[in-house]
Amino acid sequence: MSNTGNRDESAAFGVLAWIGVGIVSCAVFLAIFSPWLIPYDPTQATENVSMPPPPLSAWPSLFWQTIANGSPTPHWFGTDASGLDVFSRTIEATRTDLIIALSANIVSVIIGVSLGVISGYFRNIWTETLLRTADLLQSFPVFITAMILVALAGRSWVNIVLAMSLLYAPIYLRLTRTEVLALRERSFIEAARALGKTELGIARHHILPNAIGPSLIQFSVTIGFAILLTAGLSFVGAGVRPPTPEWGSMIATGATQLVLGDWWPSLFPGIAISVTVFGFAVCGHVLEKRYGR
Amino acid sequence: MIWRFTLRRLAVGLVQLSVLIVAVFFLIRLLPADPVARFVGMNASPEAYALAEQSLGLDLPVTRQFEAFLFGEGNDGGGLFRGELGTSWVTGSSVNQEIRQYLPVTLELITLSFLIAVGLGVPIGVLGAVNPGGAADKGTLVYGLFAGSQPEFSWGIIFIFVFFVVLGIAPGPLGRLSPLTDPPDFVTGAITIDALLAGRVDIFLEALWYLSLPILTLSFVLSGPIIKMVRENVAQTMNADFMFYGQAAGLPRGVLARDALRAAFAPALTLIGILFGFMIGGAVLIESIFSISGLGQYAIRSILAFDYPAIQGVVLTISALTLLIYLAIDVCQALLDPRVSV
Amino acid sequence: MRLTLAYDRCVIFMAFALAACGPSQPNDAESNSLIYITNDVPAGLDYDGAASTVPNSQEGIVNLMDPLIDYAPGGANEEGVGLLNFTSFEGRLAESWSFDDATLTWTFNLRRGVLSCAGNELTADDVVYTFARAKSVSGPAPTGWFLASVASVESFDATVLADENKRSLGSEVTKVDDYTVQIRQSTHNQLFLPALTTFAIRIFDSVEAKKHATESDPWSHDYINNVTAPAFGPYCVERWDKGNEFVLRANPNYYRGAPNVERVVFKRVPQSSNRFIILRMEQADITKGLTPREFIKLKEYDQLQVVGVTGNESLFVHMNFDSPPFDQVKVRQAVAAALPYSWIIKNGYIGQAQIWNGLVPSSYPGGKSTFHDSPEGLDVARRKLVEAGYPDGRGLEVYEDALRLSYPIEKEATLGPIATAVRTALRDIGMPVELDPIPLTQYGDRQLVKKDLPFALNDQEKPIVVDAGYAVQLFFVSSEAGAVNNMINYRNPRVDDLWTEARAERDTERRYNLVTEIYQHLSNDVVWLPVVEYRTQWAARQGLQGFIWYPDNGIRFADLSYAQ
Repeated sequence: MSNTGNRDESAAFGVLAWIGVGIVSCAVFLAIFSPWLIPYDPTQATENVSMPPPPLSAWPSLFWQTIANGSPTPHWFGTDASGLDVFSRTIEATRTDLIIALSANIVSVIIGVSLGVISGYFRNIWTETLLRTADLLQSFPVFITAMILVALAGRSWVNIVLAMSLLYAPIYLRLTRTEVLALRERSFIEAARALGKTELGIARHHILPNAIGPSLIQFSVTIGFAILLTAGLSFVGAGVRPPTPEWGSMIATGATQLVLGDWWPSLFPGIAISVTVFGFAVCGHVLEKRYGR
Repeated sequence: MIWRFTLRRLAVGLVQLSVLIVAVFFLIRLLPADPVARFVGMNASPEAYALAEQSLGLDLPVTRQFEAFLFGEGNDGGGLFRGELGTSWVTGSSVNQEIRQYLPVTLELITLSFLIAVGLGVPIGVLGAVNPGGAADKGTLVYGLFAGSQPEFSWGIIFIFVFFVVLGIAPGPLGRLSPLTDPPDFVTGAITIDALLAGRVDIFLEALWYLSLPILTLSFVLSGPIIKMVRENVAQTMNADFMFYGQAAGLPRGVLARDALRAAFAPALTLIGILFGFMIGGAVLIESIFSISGLGQYAIRSILAFDYPAIQGVVLTISALTLLIYLAIDVCQALLDPRVSV
Repeated sequence: MRLTLAYDRCVIFMAFALAACGPSQPNDAESNSLIYITNDVPAGLDYDGAASTVPNSQEGIVNLMDPLIDYAPGGANEEGVGLLNFTSFEGRLAESWSFDDATLTWTFNLRRGVLSCAGNELTADDVVYTFARAKSVSGPAPTGWFLASVASVESFDATVLADENKRSLGSEVTKVDDYTVQIRQSTHNQLFLPALTTFAIRIFDSVEAKKHATESDPWSHDYINNVTAPAFGPYCVERWDKGNEFVLRANPNYYRGAPNVERVVFKRVPQSSNRFIILRMEQADITKGLTPREFIKLKEYDQLQVVGVTGNESLFVHMNFDSPPFDQVKVRQAVAAALPYSWIIKNGYIGQAQIWNGLVPSSYPGGKSTFHDSPEGLDVARRKLVEAGYPDGRGLEVYEDALRLSYPIEKEATLGPIATAVRTALRDIGMPVELDPIPLTQYGDRQLVKKDLPFALNDQEKPIVVDAGYAVQLFFVSSEAGAVNNMINYRNPRVDDLWTEARAERDTERRYNLVTEIYQHLSNDVVWLPVVEYRTQWAARQGLQGFIWYPDNGIRFADLSYAQ
């Protein structure tokens, strides 16, 4: 296992790491192959409204019947108030949520890291302004900003990505900048400078590759948070357009059914989101321990 | 030294605030709808529309509206420069007054949650860190990672279902007090404090009782990052050189842990500050699940109603508070570690 | 009632071991107090104020203010909910009234000894003040003026809005003596008495209202919007915490006898599922606005009752004549044929609705509005699309923006599943429909002001004046002919002419026939696509009785009492 000087890394840590990696791989697998895995169209309303899932004990025989006799696939996770198959939606939502979370993070990393390198390497009034603007953006209440953006430009995942980038880009900016501040005094930078390389060239070829590490570690953690935030936005009505399958909106609409005794429309997406975000958090932790300072 | 730093930071804060004011005002003017339709209601004739538009000041050019927002309309004593955020278009009440009413509700909720989360998180985190590799440490790590990655709205719903509906041992999602209880006189707006000021221990207990589930939910979610961070920072400082000297010198473990905790204080402060700032606007999910009429609920209502003055007021308040918190963090950091202020 | 802490129910709860003490279950039957949980409490109490279009505010207003006259009782339905007779009126603040045909003048004799919450006696001055205030159009939403103009009160016309000099009251409303008032109409109009029963033009206590007038606010809008509406109704405001609580205390001087329920606490609980569990756990007494499934579920509990009425709430599909492809009647007919009516009734409303065969609520008098007899099915829909030139929906892709089905985001719980089913059915016949839930305010802005909402689900149009002809004037005549809410930009000169004729018609039967003819035109043109009429329901503690349905759907708490 890793040896980073931390005393708390033991064999048990390996188990945790494997769990994290397993969850994340699973999620990515589902996101890529969901169209071939789901038995029902996740947006087509049917007559079978609010059907409970079959009891666990009946699953093996039902599974056998589906494969062997070609009888219609049961609604493994039941159906919701529109008659949509919760199983298909939970799987398909992996794709929606991961795409949004990934896009928001990629956009944030690109913006945040490049601005971070600049603001760390060149210290002048402009980079100071940049930093304070980042503060400002971060001080915006994200749910409210997202709701306003959605009201401005309509419900689409692009707007959600945009709202989240406003929040996350400053995080990467700060991380990178801190790293750059430490790097720019290091000897190999001095050496590059002595060799007469341009400041911009140094920033790009020497600072950037070395300063990006913390951001990449942060990436895994932030993806988890972005999934949570996507779901939260759906909860306040600023999320994806229904009936697009998305965990947060499934939980939000399912929550109203919970009090009626229908626990399945909100429970399964709830478990999915809990486990997935946990997986990303563990991976982030593992990366930090392995490659972090 | 620290004063100069603080003053400079404060000046920057003021510039930020001005940019914020301009940005928020014009951003909101871009919204594709205004609430005039709501006013005219069933009588949407062009004349009625014009009259309503006029009464809101929406017939003026945007620059004039901005002027009125800053300096007030005519000599009405309003305007942002006099600290007035205007009148809500939905309720007709002053936005200042409404924020004065809703903000303490949210602050009370998240402050209590943070007290619990920090009160529990710090000892647990330290416990994990002082016995590295032990069962307590592993448990702490997994719990911290798990709690920190949970959707609070999902858990809020589950808690209501389990504790109120199934077990019947918790109060329903009815806000901060039973609807039949007369709230104490409005002093601070935080009901627990007002109850104590009024000498009403019964109301104080009742408010805690009604707030117990939302606080449980929030502190559960917040405890995750706090525990994780405390555990890591304490573990790190325990590894630091001065700790080895301390150990070699035979100092008791309790003393060592205390020193480690002190060293871990600065990053903790930053994390808690940032989380707190985020939660002022982010508590909205918990507020709506538990029917708590806080600032987040007010914000949602205002946005759904396209109530421009109220939206401006809320965004400015939350952002200004958050900026203030960042400023406080920076100043504290500078106090703890003079190198920062260079 | 004072809450007592039940120490026996104290539990050690939560990890920090807070000894929390739950309040005992309130027993309201004894204390005559009642907790009403609602999606929002009144935001204002001025019917000329910004909040007046919100049903929650109207509900506050009708419990504080009384009208001159109201509808007479009209029996009860199978669930025991009292109904009104929409063709017969009885006195409230007015004891009796008469109409002089020659001068178009109504004379109202006011009841004597009517006391307001402040203890002032009702006089003719209060009525004059009320009309003068309405005509001042000083509030942002001059509803009082609007309804007086609908009723053809003389000189309450659109010029009032445009011209500041026309905003003071002339001789159209005059005080004859302390207890007699005359109101003059400009023309015959059968909407006069129905308009007087609505939440607006209810009578203010002018003595109290004037006390709170200021130079910049001579009609006391501030006070009425933020403190109370001073009036002669059954309740007075005890406490008002906007966005949270609204507490009413019975008016001890109420002229129809002090209400049985002495104190009503309106408590804001925005989520319907929360209202459901709170009522189910008996921590409140009454609520409304639950989802159909929640109402059905509550019927299972012995200690609760659910009562309702098929009143004036309905669902229709809005298709804008200015937004192609909906300008083509064949496309509108295709949508009409394709809608999953039985799915909507069975799964959307859980049987708490019926097919709507008209364009006005079936309970309204004044004209018949028949529409489609039975749903026609997907085959007919596909054929209509072929006839329209879009076989299997080919060619509709260019109308992507128009094919976004909007509905208010606030109604996701009930309209969400229905919208999903509609989307599914229309995609089945090849129409590429997407869903677009938007905030109610934006919905209203686009529907009423911009009139550019192409395609929408609408479940909130309730003509507040109970008359089929009023609905024509409100929704279906062209804007040029004076429709104020022609949201689908429908223009039919024949309809305009027929309405002009019907409006001034003095003979009730002839007017009825004219209005019926109008509705035939509207039906042929598929102006609105009516879907269902759904039940207006209340869930309450068992034993609470006396529910009466009013066209504004507001609960009058003075009607309620606990069974012995």
